[in-house]
Amino acid sequence: MALRLGLLKIPWPKERSAKDPYWDYFIHTPPADRANSVVEMIRNAPEGNVFPNKADLHSPEITSSHVKEMARYVGADLVGIARLEGDSDAYPFAVVCAVRANYDPRAALGIGGQVPVQNGLFVTFVLSAWIRELGFRATAAPHGAAESLAAAAGLGKLNGEGRLETPQFGSCVHVADIIRTDLPLAADG
Amino acid sequence: MAEPLESAARPVDGERKNTGEPNGPALPPPPYLGRTVHIVGPVANVDMNQSPHPKNQRGELGKALFNLQHNTISRDPLTRVSAPNHFNDRRQFLTTVVNQPGKGKVNPSAVQVGDPAAMTRHIKAVARSMGADVVAIAPAHADFMYASARRYVQDGAAADDYEKSSPTELVKRFPYLIVATTAWDYDKLQAHRHHIGDAAYHVSQMKGVLILKALEGYVKELGYTALRGVCNPQAAGLASGVGELGRNGLLINKKFGARIHMPDPILTDLPLVPDEPVDIGVEDFCKICRKCAINCPTNSITFDNKEVFNGVEKYKINWLTCYKLRPYTHEHWGSCLTCATVCPFTKPNVWWRSLAVWALSTCPIPARPALVHLLKAIDDRFWGVARQTRVRWLGYDSGIKPGEHACTVAGCNASHEGAAAPGKVVGNMGYYAPLKENTNRFVKRGD
Repeated sequence: MALRLGLLKIPWPKERSAKDPYWDYFIHTPPADRANSVVEMIRNAPEGNVFPNKADLHSPEITSSHVKEMARYVGADLVGIARLEGDSDAYPFAVVCAVRANYDPRAALGIGGQVPVQNGLFVTFVLSAWIRELGFRATAAPHGAAESLAAAAGLGKLNGEGRLETPQFGSCVHVADIIRTDLPLAADG
Repeated sequence: MAEPLESAARPVDGERKNTGEPNGPALPPPPYLGRTVHIVGPVANVDMNQSPHPKNQRGELGKALFNLQHNTISRDPLTRVSAPNHFNDRRQFLTTVVNQPGKGKVNPSAVQVGDPAAMTRHIKAVARSMGADVVAIAPAHADFMYASARRYVQDGAAADDYEKSSPTELVKRFPYLIVATTAWDYDKLQAHRHHIGDAAYHVSQMKGVLILKALEGYVKELGYTALRGVCNPQAAGLASGVGELGRNGLLINKKFGARIHMPDPILTDLPLVPDEPVDIGVEDFCKICRKCAINCPTNSITFDNKEVFNGVEKYKINWLTCYKLRPYTHEHWGSCLTCATVCPFTKPNVWWRSLAVWALSTCPIPARPALVHLLKAIDDRFWGVARQTRVRWLGYDSGIKPGEHACTVAGCNASHEGAAAPGKVVGNMGYYAPLKENTNRFVKRGD
């Protein structure tokens, strides 16, 4: 890892495991009992109802900026809005949140390696519940094409391997569950 | 599950069976909790079911409060997803999902802990990597524990194998408490008694609950037991040096002041090295300051000295009057937070704040009153005795008077049908609900 100061990159000691004998266990050992993982708990939770009264909204650009501000407030490092074409549930927009990940959660299956997923789920759970409470439909779920949606939402570009490259964190990002919604928004990108 | 719990580095305590020793030798000495709180007499273990929230759930605090807890849906969408009641649908509230008793099992192949100090550093790094702002280890003491077999966890009873153990048995078997917590946002807190301040408080609380649940799961994955709902968080916070207890009844932390949560700590047998209570000068400051007592909308904070309650000498707040304000204000806010906001220790975590706390904590105790007077004068001069900061966030604006509706978002061209005529925003002043004249109707103020 490197510390980025504008154009300057300062090498930064990365290997925590050199000093911490348990760090590798934390990052890489998958939980023996999956019920010990918060990620599982949140993933298995049922979705709430849409509030019957629609909230009084601002114009779409401002609603978008509020959604993004809210996402950043609950812990998203990057957030963008993409327009969905031909969605199976006729949702017009996708809110794409990404969090910084020092370890790729697809390879690091320990509780520590899954921390970005945990942070991402916190963001998407609260944000989608909030949109439902505003009186609009919203569903947060893992999405097959999450990274290309993230690119469409202006979070970064896809590299040769189809992974998201962001200007802020390079490829050290985890794209959280995609929130599909019919809240009137303005798409990025 | 008993055997894997054994570890070479565990503090030797002879027996592993819970015998309880009712006629054992002497009681352990009272714990040292820093300068702000002294244990002066025998402490009866607190029955969590007699604390304010469970009392109210049973309707013992009157109809108005009972209805507030059970039958009130907030008008604010964000409150409906983040506050512990007033939701429209429980499933939208993350804490209901996360704060259930942990169902995971302790990993049968325990990680051997050779050096408890390394494990302590590790657990702290783990908590921080999950987003905790403060993490510390307290030595468990029977006085901190809740009355046995009366566990209480929000959204369900704690169900574990040790529910019947007495406090003494528990701390003998599980000698450490992991205190991990989050701080809430300073800028939003300035609009306390407003939905903006609520958001700062409740969102960071949800995050803290999530982190502690993840940490509990991780301790179990390491092969050690992690119990929840057993210990008074404030006692654990004091013993671990998270902070000192202020006049406002809140823990005051070195970095964040009073804006930290005190969620349910984890009682564990993971071998750790406990931290010690800190002295950051809260004792000296609270003796002089009284800012929270002046600002409290319900006069629940004492202007007097400490008193002894249940064997503990501390500043005691009147929780009932603090509680009774809530039904009158729920349309405007859920959590008052005035005492946390006006506390001079509550500031952004920046260098000048660290400098002031460093100066206070390194100052010899006899010279501290003079320094406190100086720091308080600075605080009064620049932050005000009673503050009215206007905060704008997500279309919320604390400059709009309570009860009025307006859209003050620049560039918004939505029609806002249904909203009343635009309210006038005068100057750059924030408003709290209730306004003082409304509070005076039901709060008796001395002199």
